[in-house]
Amino acid sequence: MLKVRDIDVFHETFQALWNVSLDVRKGEMLALIGANTSGKSTLLDTISGLLHPTKGSIEFEGKDITKLDPYQIVELGITQVPEGRGIFPEMTALDNLVIGSYSRQARAKREQNLKKVYEHFPILEGRKKQTAKTLSGGEQQMLSIGRGLMADPKLMLLDEMSLGLAPIIVNELFKALREIRETGITILFVEQNVRRSIQEADRAYILENGRVTLSGTSAELCEEEQVKKAYFGITTAEICEEK
Amino acid sequence: MKFLVSRLTIGNVIVGAIVIILVVLPVAGGPREWLLYLLLFFIYLAMANMWNLLAGYSGLISLCQPAFLGIAGYAVAMGTWVSIPWWLGIIGGAIIAGIFAILIAFPVFRLSGIYFAIGTLVVPEALRLLFFLWKPVGGELQGGGAGYIIKGLADVQMSTIYWTALGIAVASAVIMRIILNSRLGLGLAAIRDNERAAASCGVNTFRIKLYPFLISAVITGLAGAVFYVYQGYIEPSSTFNVKWTMIILLATVIGGLRTEGGPIIGTIIVVFLYFLLARYAGYSLLIQGVILIAIMLLSPQGIVGIMRNTRFYRAIFQLANRRLANAKTE
Amino acid sequence: MTDVGTLVSPIIMGILLGGLYALIALGLSMVFGVMRLINLAHGDLVILGSYIAFACMTYLGMDPILSLVIAIPVLFGIGFFIQQFLMSRAFAISAEAPLIIAFGIALIIQNTNQIMWTPLSRGLTTAYSLSSFHLGSYQFPLSYLLNFIAAVVVMLALREFLRRTYLGKAITAASQDRRAAQLMGINTKMIYGFAFAIAMICAAIAGIFLGMTFPFTPTSGIQFLIIAFGVVIIGGLGSIFGTFLGGIILGLVQTLTGFFFGPATQMLFIYVIVLVILAIRPKGLLGR
Repeated sequence: MLKVRDIDVFHETFQALWNVSLDVRKGEMLALIGANTSGKSTLLDTISGLLHPTKGSIEFEGKDITKLDPYQIVELGITQVPEGRGIFPEMTALDNLVIGSYSRQARAKREQNLKKVYEHFPILEGRKKQTAKTLSGGEQQMLSIGRGLMADPKLMLLDEMSLGLAPIIVNELFKALREIRETGITILFVEQNVRRSIQEADRAYILENGRVTLSGTSAELCEEEQVKKAYFGITTAEICEEK
Repeated sequence: MKFLVSRLTIGNVIVGAIVIILVVLPVAGGPREWLLYLLLFFIYLAMANMWNLLAGYSGLISLCQPAFLGIAGYAVAMGTWVSIPWWLGIIGGAIIAGIFAILIAFPVFRLSGIYFAIGTLVVPEALRLLFFLWKPVGGELQGGGAGYIIKGLADVQMSTIYWTALGIAVASAVIMRIILNSRLGLGLAAIRDNERAAASCGVNTFRIKLYPFLISAVITGLAGAVFYVYQGYIEPSSTFNVKWTMIILLATVIGGLRTEGGPIIGTIIVVFLYFLLARYAGYSLLIQGVILIAIMLLSPQGIVGIMRNTRFYRAIFQLANRRLANAKTE
Repeated sequence: MTDVGTLVSPIIMGILLGGLYALIALGLSMVFGVMRLINLAHGDLVILGSYIAFACMTYLGMDPILSLVIAIPVLFGIGFFIQQFLMSRAFAISAEAPLIIAFGIALIIQNTNQIMWTPLSRGLTTAYSLSSFHLGSYQFPLSYLLNFIAAVVVMLALREFLRRTYLGKAITAASQDRRAAQLMGINTKMIYGFAFAIAMICAAIAGIFLGMTFPFTPTSGIQFLIIAFGVVIIGGLGSIFGTFLGGIILGLVQTLTGFFFGPATQMLFIYVIVLVILAIRPKGLLGR
């Protein structure tokens, strides 16, 4: 579905990604794991078109999207749920959702998608008249995911969804993600929490200092000695048991 | 002496020679028109240097320079009505401009960036209205919209005004150099890059911004006062006028904002434009506006910015820095 | 001692005048709210609107209000051009570049107006702009009432536009979080162009009503830029209601100082008040 091939990406003069390649297969739940500044967010921003690679290419459903602008990429069906939620604080929750359906293909399906969002996150329906900044952290994240769904995406990118949220809310969010995936939307999520990511995803990529150091199915990654070593404190046995 | 010799680069010698030629020009019988254009050049250069100090090096986009030059001009003019000689008026005017700068610093320095620009824009407008109404000397018939004649200029030679202006222009360039090489220059760079960070490092941002503002007010005031002595009269609407800001801005931006040589090159071009556009006076601001926008978009560092990237410039620069006497190699 | 009764007239005049000031400030407030740009050329663009109406009146014999059909598209186009081809690049250059470019634009418009119409003072005089209306025993110029009505209509229309249309919501979104707006599929570059253009529609309307109320010259722009800036500083940037309130406060300052100290000083008072407010509350009186 999405093919990232050998890309280099710079922030001004600082190189953030080195020769990164990544594949997303239709219908899967894919995790991108790494520490702070490992380049995970940069990779998502590059796929979304906020940044452009100096080398390499990105292809989505057979179409070259390397040089497209963010709005064109949203129109093709890739949406990003940004880190730190990135909701519009002074707008109502409903307006936040409506603005999610801004791109051409999504406007026609607005009511239908709105219904879906309320099915995934019933709490939002009761909050729709409220200004977004008055929502709790968890609700804001739900709003952000819901807003992403309103774009009627084929592929949804999530950047550090669980950041700063209580475990119980994170569980709820992952449950919603699984449901969303059931509806046929492919998911690529970025996380710092290795254990959780491997548990939830079908496959995962591990980024370190802007390079892909490891990738494979969750089962394969469980076996990897490197994962054990790199992310101390977790034994693979433990992860795999939980799986 | 050794210290002086060690500083004697080819570039400094050339600059020195040019200054000496400029000094003797009136005595050597330079044509009056030349002197006139050079006079304008000196006055504009001093003002452009000071604006570069503010906008280029201190991050203060001041649009109130007409206030300083106008206040000093009015001080000279009104002074001559109460028998203060013009040369004393120039000095007094510059001091008053400096005091005025300190006074308005209190409101406008609370503003940063774009707010500062607008805040300073209000000042000359308010002064224009004030000087329309305020008639402290000369009775009902003088002042206001009619303005003041500057008295006692009958035996003042053109060359005297010329030399005064030259002195101020040279002083403005020297002051620029001194500030940029001092601790103040360092503090200014820090503030321009990040005011909050500089403040948290113990830099007194108010004081450090006040110095360039004060210095620019005094020098701009001196230059403005000399201009009005040359012109012989002063009235509010052409004095507290954005046209002055335009000249100063254009000279700095064309030459190169935040470059030491920029204002010199820019001022030469502005005076040249003034000369060329004299026939199309009505279109002159239009043309200058277009040039301003074009330069800003195409080469934000002006002509100096373009030249810096050429090999010719680098070669000249190296040559200019070569020392005449191999006093000591550091 | 002044009789309270005599104050009624300047107070009502001030409120009505405030409508015009709010209208003038609306475009400045919007451009700042969305692009974080103080458009130094705003006053001159408003005056350009006045001159377009003047041209329509002189050559085509059009009523000033009717000439909006020409003034609005022209200023819409100019606004879009300025943002799309000048400002969007200027932002990438440096902090001072947009200011310097706006300054250049201001001078170009001033000089163009001067070449076309000479420096003489002009006005948009019609039969109704000179007539007056009665309120009890008081008499007021009809143009002041028209200003106020126009201001209320434009503000309500702008508010509904921002609330109800996709384009309006996209403008609001882009002003709150540019990056997130891009991720929602909003072409922010285009949206900024439209925001500037819509601000210029407000400027065109303001220019025409200004021309029916006050005489104007090619250099009047700076005076109305400062008034607009004062309004925005009082009312807080980017808020429509605040702009309206700011306009009324400044209108009252003008008519009341005119009443007490004579008309010659009223603009001077406005300038001093703008400076004083800046010194006390640099981010605006009602601003966040």
